[in-house]
Amino acid sequence: MSSAAAVDTEADLVCELDSVRGIVDALCSVRWKRFQDALLELSQHGIVIIVEETGCLQAKVYLQRELFIKYDYAATGRPRFGVSLGLFIDCLNTFSVLGRSNVLELRYPGPDMQLMLRSVDSPDACIYAEIRTIIPETISWDYNFEPAGSTPLSFTVKSAALKEAIDDLEWPGSSIQISLQPSPPSVIFRGEGHGDLQIDFNYYVNTDLLIAFSCDRQVSHRYKYKFLRATTSNIPASVLKDNRGSKATIGRGGMLKIQHLVSVAKPSVPHPHIDSAGYQQPSRIAYIEFFVKPEVEEKNGCV
Amino acid sequence: MNFFRFNPNDFTIFIDVYELIAWGERHRILNFFLSKYSIMFVINLEQDWERRNMSSILQIKNGYKESRGADDSIGRRRDHRIAAALDRSGHGRCPRSSSPMHSSLRSVLAVRDSNSNALLIKLVKKLPPNSTQATPFLTFEARGHRSAVVQDVPVSKPLSRADVQELHLAVESCEQLPATLVMAPELSSLHSFVDGMKHVGDVMAISVSKYGDLHLQISTSLIALGAEFRKLKVLGERADPVAEDNGLSSKTRVERGVQRGDAMSVQVSVKHFFKSLQCSLAKPDCAFFGIAPHGACLMVFFQFFVPGTRVTDKSFSLHCKLPVLDTGSS
Repeated sequence: MSSAAAVDTEADLVCELDSVRGIVDALCSVRWKRFQDALLELSQHGIVIIVEETGCLQAKVYLQRELFIKYDYAATGRPRFGVSLGLFIDCLNTFSVLGRSNVLELRYPGPDMQLMLRSVDSPDACIYAEIRTIIPETISWDYNFEPAGSTPLSFTVKSAALKEAIDDLEWPGSSIQISLQPSPPSVIFRGEGHGDLQIDFNYYVNTDLLIAFSCDRQVSHRYKYKFLRATTSNIPASVLKDNRGSKATIGRGGMLKIQHLVSVAKPSVPHPHIDSAGYQQPSRIAYIEFFVKPEVEEKNGCV
Repeated sequence: MNFFRFNPNDFTIFIDVYELIAWGERHRILNFFLSKYSIMFVINLEQDWERRNMSSILQIKNGYKESRGADDSIGRRRDHRIAAALDRSGHGRCPRSSSPMHSSLRSVLAVRDSNSNALLIKLVKKLPPNSTQATPFLTFEARGHRSAVVQDVPVSKPLSRADVQELHLAVESCEQLPATLVMAPELSSLHSFVDGMKHVGDVMAISVSKYGDLHLQISTSLIALGAEFRKLKVLGERADPVAEDNGLSSKTRVERGVQRGDAMSVQVSVKHFFKSLQCSLAKPDCAFFGIAPHGACLMVFFQFFVPGTRVTDKSFSLHCKLPVLDTGSS
């Protein structure tokens, strides 16, 4: 183990984090299939993990540098490399041992372009891993999200309610139509398959569920159920427990963006004098974004 | 009736040990071996009978030199040894599960009469409900002041003399003990680490050094994952760590140790290793790892202390032998 005193000038990035559990939760939320490759992009602002279902669905996890105890970035440009997402998560899981605080060092690249992980909290015991990386293929579809107009078309809904609605919409067995209308201000989810199911979120009726709403004209798009499902199926339990909201925005062409916030707090005993339910320091949040392409009516979109 | 009267130094160890027996029984990998002076529970790492010689062996020895009340019928017919498998397939014979026994034992302990015989393990033939044929059971009986716990566990017919001999040899064969044993780090965190390793690969390399280093590693084409524990307590042959090794990576340190003859490294199945760590169910006070001479097998020894002391309780012995995989790689 090389001396920890000086920054390793050969590495593009050396960073340390103390909340492995939170990072695992954030990564699990973008795992909708058993075998997925993830692209990691390193920059001075943090690490972005991108997972894609070619041409149809893309997810990004933003781990800002503020989440890390230490973040020494020395690369020029933005290195990118691919790893197996499942393997990365399984590996991180071995580092989070219950009941102990674990400080994990991430380093890239290793001597053979591997991603190197190492626990650094104890001088006499060390868990380490070297994950082989692959040269990433270019992302096939640039999910350049553009606003649909001058007024954003968006709504913020309780994450638990959104997940439940999408889970329920499995029943019709069809693609899901999401409609926003300004008057009365509401969001309507509808499925018409071997049965009909419609779920309405009305803005003024229940501000507990629909927290925010912005819409100046009626808009309606259809999305394939399995991709919509992927955006909420693995929301970590902590998000539901913390009562967070998820923001959905419809962009140009009907592209749907769904954003979640996942807490990456270090597990600790809550302060007895602070009512910490739902409160988190802003820097201890990982941002998750999903981009879902709408179903195209005429030609082959996502089959 | 063949029985074994057991007066442990302390009943509390047996309660935890029973948890391990119950686990082995639930997974259908348990044999027992009853002799004049001890009862041995053999927890096989594989359900396949052919590989029974590599396993966890829990031996409960009688506190007395002669087992009191041992029926002569054991001696006469079977050279003082009898063995059988704990058999869950006879569901109808014993509908009770093992877990109530565990908690009942605790309550019996609370009212235990110190003069009474604390625990009786009997091999009996009983008439199960809904049957006219008496079948064998292993019965655990614990008596307290005002209450008693009785658990009947169905067992197979006693094994043939040849099988018993084979089991006896496999279990008590005088394979050489490892020259160096290192004390294991905290078992619960090791257990959860190896649980994580199971998702990553099937084969792991384990090395033990005379400096008190223990190193575990899984290596596949996509990932190398390992854990290194240093400065552990050493029993047996030891050596001082070489200072120049301090700055090296774990892998290099192990390789150098092996080259110098100060360390040994073998490959075992992750699943087997994980199963051997299940012995932590018996809540041993410490564990030691060692590699038998010539890399014949990996051995794990568990020790129980008399509660409140650091004196080993000699009535319980638990150790595990893991087969070494012959991969031919370094």
